[in-house]
Amino acid sequence: MSQKTILVADDESHILSVVSLKLRNAGFRVLTAVDGQEALDLTLSERPDLLITDYHMPAFSGIEVCQRLRQAGVKIPAIMLTARGYNLEPAETSQYGIVCMISKPFSPRHLLTTVQEVLERGVASTGTSEAA
Amino acid sequence: MSLSPSNLTSMQPTPAIATPLLDAAAARFGAAGLFLVAAFADGTLAYHDSSAGGFFLKYVVPALRQPTIIGAASLLGGAAPALVEIRRSIPGVLLAALPSIDKRHAPIRLYLAARDESFALTEDVLRLCGKLSLDSAWLLQQSRDLPSLNESAMQRQSRLFITVLRDQLRIGGLEAELCSVSEQLAATYEELSLIYQVSGGMKINRSPVEFFKQTCMDVRAVMGARGIGVALRSDAQRQLEPALYGSITLAPDQLARLADDLIRAVAERRGPVLCNALAADRRFDWLAASAGQVLAVPLQRHEQVMGCLYALDKEEGEFDSADAKLLNSIANESAIYLENARMFEDVRGLMMGLMHSLTSAVDAKDAYTCGHSERVALLSRHVAKELGISDSEVEQIYIAGLLHDVGKIGVPESVLQKTGKLTNEEFDLMKKHPEIGAKILQDVRQIQQIIPGVLHHHERYDGNGYPARLAGEDIPLMGRIICLADCFDAMTTNRTYRRALPIEVALAEIRRCAGTQFDPRLAEVFLRTSADRYRELLRDHQQQSKRILDVRESLIAK
Repeated sequence: MSQKTILVADDESHILSVVSLKLRNAGFRVLTAVDGQEALDLTLSERPDLLITDYHMPAFSGIEVCQRLRQAGVKIPAIMLTARGYNLEPAETSQYGIVCMISKPFSPRHLLTTVQEVLERGVASTGTSEAA
Repeated sequence: MSLSPSNLTSMQPTPAIATPLLDAAAARFGAAGLFLVAAFADGTLAYHDSSAGGFFLKYVVPALRQPTIIGAASLLGGAAPALVEIRRSIPGVLLAALPSIDKRHAPIRLYLAARDESFALTEDVLRLCGKLSLDSAWLLQQSRDLPSLNESAMQRQSRLFITVLRDQLRIGGLEAELCSVSEQLAATYEELSLIYQVSGGMKINRSPVEFFKQTCMDVRAVMGARGIGVALRSDAQRQLEPALYGSITLAPDQLARLADDLIRAVAERRGPVLCNALAADRRFDWLAASAGQVLAVPLQRHEQVMGCLYALDKEEGEFDSADAKLLNSIANESAIYLENARMFEDVRGLMMGLMHSLTSAVDAKDAYTCGHSERVALLSRHVAKELGISDSEVEQIYIAGLLHDVGKIGVPESVLQKTGKLTNEEFDLMKKHPEIGAKILQDVRQIQQIIPGVLHHHERYDGNGYPARLAGEDIPLMGRIICLADCFDAMTTNRTYRRALPIEVALAEIRRCAGTQFDPRLAEVFLRTSADRYRELLRDHQQQSKRILDVRESLIAK
């Protein structure tokens, strides 16, 4: 199996460190972005297999990144990290390829399981993850 | 093995030994004429070829295989030297020793090498190459390709090299540090998320069994233990039996013994008890057949130990202080839940007790209606459950059923107990009891939701009831349900004006009045239960209340 590439976008560096570490240790190639613009540019140029993005970011939000990717015809599954208790409309999420939402503070172990599920089967069994 | 210049020239380089930091630095300085040489205590030299990406040497020294010695920050300690010592032990070659290589691997010294203008592959050089096991062909190649340096240029380049290498080592060290910090951060996230989840599950109306089951499973996943268990003191109010979740199973008597032993141990220590070798511990050696390690922390509030939370057998390694800290945080959260759940139970018990007393007082005004409120509550709850509504709504309907006639406190006993037909005035007084009941209850904030049930339990589906003459679905569901239960109980018990009717007759009456007096949909639900089942329900209830009465009487007798 070829190595899968995951782009992680978050403006908080500690989240980037933790998520990258966890994913790299699990054998993924990890790219990081600190705002919406960088996330969009990197996704377009590197075509990762999965996007993990924070909702609130400078430049533009995680949902906008997903929107613009769809507009550019790029279909990449995305996992959205959100503040606890914040939920998007299901219509909004499925429309932009957001396969699941994980609320912060999240369990890195749970995130890794979700990532593996999404990459293997294209879906997250936990769905919108409140019980992260 | 002896080495002659002839076999040296034919010698194939061994595979490169990559040393990422040195390789990067060497690659940058290669163009300036510098290359790296590693010298070993036995005189062997390993030369660095940045184009091939690493060191080559005849004898692969195990120490050099370990990237730690080259990557260690101790490789270059202190500030860049003001002056680098330059040797000329090979004619035409400038050698600059890199300072302070790792002392634990002292046999290796690293040199920067460059040729000066006088370099030539003379007999002397060849002899030296042989002595040092250095490939002379390669050396000649290098001497042709590389620019030559004079001593002051070598001095400058060497110092620069040392500075660059030291910075790279520092960056490498920082990266390693970042990695370890991230590792710790990930563990902290894991714990934070666990604590968040446990607090989220601390709803006081959740049963302790359910709460601890979820909590234990969550902790188990994060901590990586084969079993997580909970035990409460048996002398305290016991809300749950000792339980153990995970892949370890213990017989009930073992579980109980473990619970007692662990609670005693944490209570004595007033803190965590950790044992990674149960077989060697006299307190727990009896458990050795099932588990090898245990970590237990007290469940305590206000210095009072209520029980303990424990973990058995770490999946990898041993339990440590980080595990103890995590389990302790969870235990502290759980203890708060436990205390709240106990208080909630106490308050609820008190409230229910008071409500039962109140209804007994109401029923006592009329000997014929003895136990009526309790039965209406029971029947209303039965119908509510059949409807499949939520547990909390069922509970509310039960309470509303219990208190539906509380307003009769305000109706004269002469009216309540009258055997003959009521006059119009008397009937008007009687018809006031739902409103009086609602008024009595209106100031009790906690039971506001049941007032519609009390106020509207005499409304009729066709709109001919009282007090508001509501019809159909306008009558609150509670009122419609209690109305059914109330009429059914009135028909099936002795009254001042007639004897009890058989349950079958009462059910037929409910069928007859469905759509006029009763909500037809609810009547249908009510009729789903057979006459025999109703008899059973009421008999069970009677026996239960008799037992309570017996206990009460025996207490009074004492």
